[in-house]
Amino acid sequence: MISSLFWIVPVAALTALLFAWIFYRNMKAQEEGTDRMIEIATYVREGAMAYLRRQYGVVTKVFLILVVLLLILAYFGIQNPFVPVAFLTGGFFSGLCGYLGMRTATYASNRTAWAASKSLNQGLKVALRSGAVMGLVVVGFGLLDIALWFLILNGWVFTPEHMAAGWKFAGLTFVHPGTTEHEKLIEITAVMLTFGMGASTQALFARVGGGIFTKAADVGADLVGKVEAGIPEDDPRNPATIADNVGDNVGDVAGMGADLYESYAGSILATAALGAALPGVTGDLQIKSVIAPMLVSAIGIFLSIAGIYLVRTKESATPKALLHALLLGTGGSSLLILVVLAIMAAADWITWGVFGATVSGLLAGVIIGQSTEYYTSDGNKPTQAIAKQAQQGPATVIIEGMAVGMASTWIPVVTIVIGIIAAYGFSGGFQNFAMGVYGIGFAAVGMLSTLGITLATDAFGPIADNAGGNAEMSELPKEVRERTDALDGLGNTTAATGKGFAIGSAALTALALIAAYMEEVRLWLGRVIDKAPEGFKQIGDTLFYKSVIPQVQDGQVAVHIGSATIRDFTSAYDITLLNPIVLGGIFIGAMMAFLFSSMSMKAVGRAAGNMVEEVRRQFREIPGIMDGSGKPDYARCVAISTAGAQREMIIPSLMAIAVPLLIGVLFGVAGVVGLLAGGLSAGFVLACMLNNAGGAWDNAKKFIERGNYGGKNSEAHKASVVGDTVGDPFKDTSGPALNILIKLMSMVSVVLAGLTVAWSMLG
Amino acid sequence: MKKYIYLTSTPEALVASMLPPEGFGMYLSTGTKKRNRGQNIFFEVDLDQIGNIFDMESLEKRCVAKEDGSPKSSVYLSVYRVLEMVPTSALKSLYLTTDHGCVLELKKAPYDSKRESVNTLHLYQELCPVTPLVVSDMTPSAFLKKLTDGSIPITLPKLFFVELKLGELAANPLGGSAEHLPYPNIGHMRDCLEILRGEYEKHMKTVQRVFSGTLLYRTIESGFYVGSKDEIVFYPYPTIKDLEDINYEFFRDI
Repeated sequence: MISSLFWIVPVAALTALLFAWIFYRNMKAQEEGTDRMIEIATYVREGAMAYLRRQYGVVTKVFLILVVLLLILAYFGIQNPFVPVAFLTGGFFSGLCGYLGMRTATYASNRTAWAASKSLNQGLKVALRSGAVMGLVVVGFGLLDIALWFLILNGWVFTPEHMAAGWKFAGLTFVHPGTTEHEKLIEITAVMLTFGMGASTQALFARVGGGIFTKAADVGADLVGKVEAGIPEDDPRNPATIADNVGDNVGDVAGMGADLYESYAGSILATAALGAALPGVTGDLQIKSVIAPMLVSAIGIFLSIAGIYLVRTKESATPKALLHALLLGTGGSSLLILVVLAIMAAADWITWGVFGATVSGLLAGVIIGQSTEYYTSDGNKPTQAIAKQAQQGPATVIIEGMAVGMASTWIPVVTIVIGIIAAYGFSGGFQNFAMGVYGIGFAAVGMLSTLGITLATDAFGPIADNAGGNAEMSELPKEVRERTDALDGLGNTTAATGKGFAIGSAALTALALIAAYMEEVRLWLGRVIDKAPEGFKQIGDTLFYKSVIPQVQDGQVAVHIGSATIRDFTSAYDITLLNPIVLGGIFIGAMMAFLFSSMSMKAVGRAAGNMVEEVRRQFREIPGIMDGSGKPDYARCVAISTAGAQREMIIPSLMAIAVPLLIGVLFGVAGVVGLLAGGLSAGFVLACMLNNAGGAWDNAKKFIERGNYGGKNSEAHKASVVGDTVGDPFKDTSGPALNILIKLMSMVSVVLAGLTVAWSMLG
Repeated sequence: MKKYIYLTSTPEALVASMLPPEGFGMYLSTGTKKRNRGQNIFFEVDLDQIGNIFDMESLEKRCVAKEDGSPKSSVYLSVYRVLEMVPTSALKSLYLTTDHGCVLELKKAPYDSKRESVNTLHLYQELCPVTPLVVSDMTPSAFLKKLTDGSIPITLPKLFFVELKLGELAANPLGGSAEHLPYPNIGHMRDCLEILRGEYEKHMKTVQRVFSGTLLYRTIESGFYVGSKDEIVFYPYPTIKDLEDINYEFFRDI
């Protein structure tokens, strides 16, 4: 029997979607601006949609192959038969969020520019509420998918009859006979967790493909347009300028949306799975532990919507007032969620320890965001130091930028370490390990509970950026471009904070997923024991059994699989640093972060090379481009960038899926845990370094362009352009994709835990 | 179509054109097909005051609209030693162009030598007819006079130059902060400035013999000067803040 409070979850999801629709309609009702503005926005929209169609085509093929593989595993009884369907729904909803977010963003750019011609406040309102469409569809569909799966599995699949007698369909076992009430929730949450793999896979393709697209277009536009042809950024004579604007949407809207959709769903599902498996927690308490993360997220939706309405300023607002208004919205929502959690703790829905863990997560997110802002903003010393080094030339710019990027990792790392230990300790992890990891999961849930507004402020960035491009290309008056510049500057600040949230939540989610992986191992080990004629299975010196206690020899212990703790498993599988298999896994995990980054960077280089050739060809073969009498072929540039991105994203993405599978088969559970630990630690640090170095290089260039060290055309400026170009794939391709890599490897391991356990037994 | 006469500083030439200053500036910077780019600095010249100095007969024949009716962009009338031949009074507004063809007009203004700062060091980029980068302890008017009055062996008939920012180095060459000064080899510049403060009397020191061709418009201190001996024409340069209001396109492009 599920609590009536659960119904808040689907209601919140539907409310989010309703408000997303309202904001979308309101945005569409705004004036579109001049004919030129509409024309430019149409080019960008058509390019973005053409890209998405092509990407979804490729992703569909990959998904179909993976579904077939999962069905084969299910046929052999080492995969839950629901997993292929859950995998598809996760991918479908993630893709749908990307599509809706990007459609909204591309409709919003010219409307934002036109609204900015009236006042800064009106520009802000259109851009933010358009960004809110993305934020709300992500949380709406994320929670709706979770709620629907929970209702279907709880109400129709795991019925008392099915649980007693088992349920088979088409030769596949959906419910095992003799499933207890306690096992039911563990099974349900374990199945639901696998829909995260669909979301992760979709997110990786969106991030990697989007990142390659956007930087190929950007580098092509800059190298030929700005450097060779000498025309400024966002000049309509540049054939790659529309592709560049499309790239902003593809990478920062669809990519970021899919990334955070995955973190959002992954954190809720992993925490629910950990809650279901808490030792000694049964009955109502077990249901509460499962539903609590969903409930917090649902309440976060209402607070996010309230926060969006809180963001308002006077018509004559300054950029500083705009930032203050945005902070009021995001900060207000976060503070209110703490109040709600305190009420839940007082009502015994969660413990005060879990409340403390959530506070730790929220604080960690804020601190990482502020640290990102500190290291990448040109108002602070690190970025100014890069600008200063630009006077010596590009080599010192690169050295200083790398140094800033590396130094910038210490605050996020220390914050995450303290956050993890605090969340673990507050929730009682030092006495009860399972409660500790449940608390870590809750820290991620807390961090992402107000994702609706956090993502709204994040998606606001590319919308404002595109509005600026539209205003520039449409040659709108000076005051309008000043306003769109102010909105763009504001968007850069919110994007830095958003990136901090994205990487911080990815780390916590991945950690919760590693713990959830051990729960999956327990589940599948139980199944293996069910089929074992001797009634137990020996792993190391531990004999895991279900009903009859086996005889043990000296040095062996017998542990009931149902009451086995994670410590029992780590002892059985020898998951210690002294085990060379674990150590090997750690090395391979760390290597994955670097190899993956290298592949995605090289992909940008190759795709950009094709774009450079195309832009040169157009300048050479289309008469009158430069004097404005001839029209560039924008669509061709978009198509080239799209084809390059689709071609180049396949291998790194498939590698992220294949390596956990191979490690599972070759090295078993210990190797997988090592792989995930190595991937998480190296991936987190490397992602922080790449994101912050890239952001700092970009802003160092802008700092010089504002007149410091001679401004544009100075030697310092030329050196800073080199730094910015190097930093482009750092911050917009490899860095953000690492967030997903670390989560996807965990998700794949969770989904394939059955195969790993079964294969280990064969070995 | 109206005809304009321009005096360009690089190359030093007198050019006729049917393009108004903004169009001519863009043409000089980016070409007719906008396939090249480069900064330019030029004066508009009063045709009435130079008719008897240069051969203007060919102007009517050569500077005519093209067959398709579009205006003639440029007809070179004279190169080499042009500045010295054009009377200072014939110089109208001065125009600066960016690489991308944005044009800023600078109007003449009366020059008040009493407001010159006398106890500091100065940095001058000579633009025509010679182009060294020079530091000096002389004010702009004294510098101009010194180089054009024949009192020293190296003398010029007329000089066009711009004063650039020196920041703290103007008062403290060795210890002053060179932050935000974009000049290459700051150490050498400090040495040159320190020489001016040395024991033996030296009022000018060449920092760089040849102009790179790119003037960083954000580093202009007071403005541009052109003249000879006691005759000085001053083109004040707006502050960066004022520039944003005066010419936003130009401001964004520098």
